[in-house]
Amino acid sequence: MDLFFNLLINGLATGMLIFLLAAGLTLIFGLMDVLNFAHGGLFVWGAYAGIFVYAWSGSFTVGILGAILTGLVFGWITEKLIITPVYGNHVQQILITLGYMLVLSEFIKVTFGPNGIPVEVPPALAGSWELGDVIVIKYRIFIILIGFVIFGIFQYTLKRTKVGLIVRAGVMNKEMVQVLGINIKRVFLFVFMTGSALAALGGVLMAPYSGVIYSEMGMEYAILGFIVVVIGGMGSFSGSLMAAILVGLAGSFMAYYVPYLSLAVNMILMAIVLIFRPQGLFSNAKEG
Amino acid sequence: MKQGKFYSLKNIILLIIVIVLILFPYIVDSRTLTILMTQIFVFSILAISYDILLGYTGIVSFGHAMFFGMGAYSTAIMLSKYDHTMTIFLVSILVGMLFAGIVSFLVGLLTLRLKSHFFAMLTLAISGLFLVVAEKWRTVTKGNDGFTFRAPDAFRDRIFFYFFVLACLVVIFLLLRRFVSSPLGKVLIAVRENEQRTRSLGFKTLYYKVFASIVAGVIASLSGSLYAMSLRFVNTSVMSMDITLDALLMTIIGGVGTLVGPIIGSFVIEIAQHYLSGLAKDYPIFERWIIFFGLLYILAVIFFPRGIVGSIYSKYLIWKSKKVTSKQQSPTIPIANDKERFD
Repeated sequence: MDLFFNLLINGLATGMLIFLLAAGLTLIFGLMDVLNFAHGGLFVWGAYAGIFVYAWSGSFTVGILGAILTGLVFGWITEKLIITPVYGNHVQQILITLGYMLVLSEFIKVTFGPNGIPVEVPPALAGSWELGDVIVIKYRIFIILIGFVIFGIFQYTLKRTKVGLIVRAGVMNKEMVQVLGINIKRVFLFVFMTGSALAALGGVLMAPYSGVIYSEMGMEYAILGFIVVVIGGMGSFSGSLMAAILVGLAGSFMAYYVPYLSLAVNMILMAIVLIFRPQGLFSNAKEG
Repeated sequence: MKQGKFYSLKNIILLIIVIVLILFPYIVDSRTLTILMTQIFVFSILAISYDILLGYTGIVSFGHAMFFGMGAYSTAIMLSKYDHTMTIFLVSILVGMLFAGIVSFLVGLLTLRLKSHFFAMLTLAISGLFLVVAEKWRTVTKGNDGFTFRAPDAFRDRIFFYFFVLACLVVIFLLLRRFVSSPLGKVLIAVRENEQRTRSLGFKTLYYKVFASIVAGVIASLSGSLYAMSLRFVNTSVMSMDITLDALLMTIIGGVGTLVGPIIGSFVIEIAQHYLSGLAKDYPIFERWIIFFGLLYILAVIFFPRGIVGSIYSKYLIWKSKKVTSKQQSPTIPIANDKERFD
């Protein structure tokens, strides 16, 4: 039973990290209709910048804030320079963001060196609780909590506040929102920056969890993020939470019970979902 | 664009280029350059095949490297398991092509119904799956370490291999030129321009798209076989994302939707890659030459979306229509037709 709980918590924590990444992707794709293949680059910059700030200031909270700030700044630059010229053209979006991804992950190597950097769990969150036979690692619980808090905040903002209303209306009908006197460009910029900040937050939280950060992890996790977005349904916020948890659990249970399949399980999951339900598991939208 | 007569200017230029390339190994007595040129031809074939998807059918695939890898592995495995003769090499090319054809048929049938972004991600996932298989199936592929194999005796002579690859490139180029100007090729272009409308004209666009992906996959497998043969070594890097990205970049730089474009693109990229990595000895920044490629990507997509060939050709069209209008004194504004491309 304790094994089951360990795998469960492990899977949930991984799922939450992927959720932070996928949530940014969902926001950016679902609301702005932009395919951002450079999301992993923002993730890895968040991780490096956050850990850098953490090492410099000695406080993990400051590190997290640093990562979020980095995400916002990078999101601003990216939207202005990279995304604005290619609004409305998916093929160009795919191509340009891929090129940008290359630049981002190579600049990591230029700035922080080509080798991976080991990261330790901050002392306040290190260690574990023992509940009977079950050993619960604190940091994983911390990640799970943050994931749910972020989900709650975003769900509330999107569904209950005026900002969310404007954003959702902008998705439905861009021109109409503009006619009402709202600068839709600024709304999109804001959404993109938020998505980037979520990616950066995911990056810095991931760093102590996996123990090491390296420049290629951007692409690896971005693929996971994409898989989650596809499974959950493009643009569905709660869908990506469900799908992220599903992918996290599938990964953690598979790694224990069927190790040789664990690397492929996400791909298989996505392929099956796409073939039988291309619009995603939790999306009410029509196909495509 | 109408296919010109056999003696058209375009064909004569192409013929001259081919003759220069045939004479090349005799003029330039450098082994390195001959090998570099061979590599360029190999990647030209890959980039052309990619352009059939991206430029002519308008679908972005991230799984092109898996077909390249299939060719590379089928050649490498067959030549190391059996005899290293010419026959086996040719058979291995065919086996690779057959395998790539079957896989691209199945994958295409399953995935091409989806919209562009789903398709891109699914191909990414499937090629990732193949990469994992290649890494884990160590008894056959030896994983990331790879393995070497012996080339047929005739290929000991690098110049002979150069001619072999050049011949493959010319044949593929001519076949594909025929292909894209055939009625089938026209349907593909129609799919690129407006799939909905093509469908409403009564074409089953899925079949055409699947056909395009089979053609692209089979040719990519051929280039993979040639690539493995040129290195006489294979490892899992032939299946990595980098190969797809290279093909993509070559196509974009050279000119999307043209057949000459990808070839020029692969010249530019391969030579740049060669010299930039050579510069790294003197200037450490060039160790990260991928940055320049990434920047090139971004700039090309924003400022240069039609690539080298496309831009030159549209300039040529503007120039030609100017000449015509000045003769006719007609007030029409000369605008190059965007849909019309050089092939």
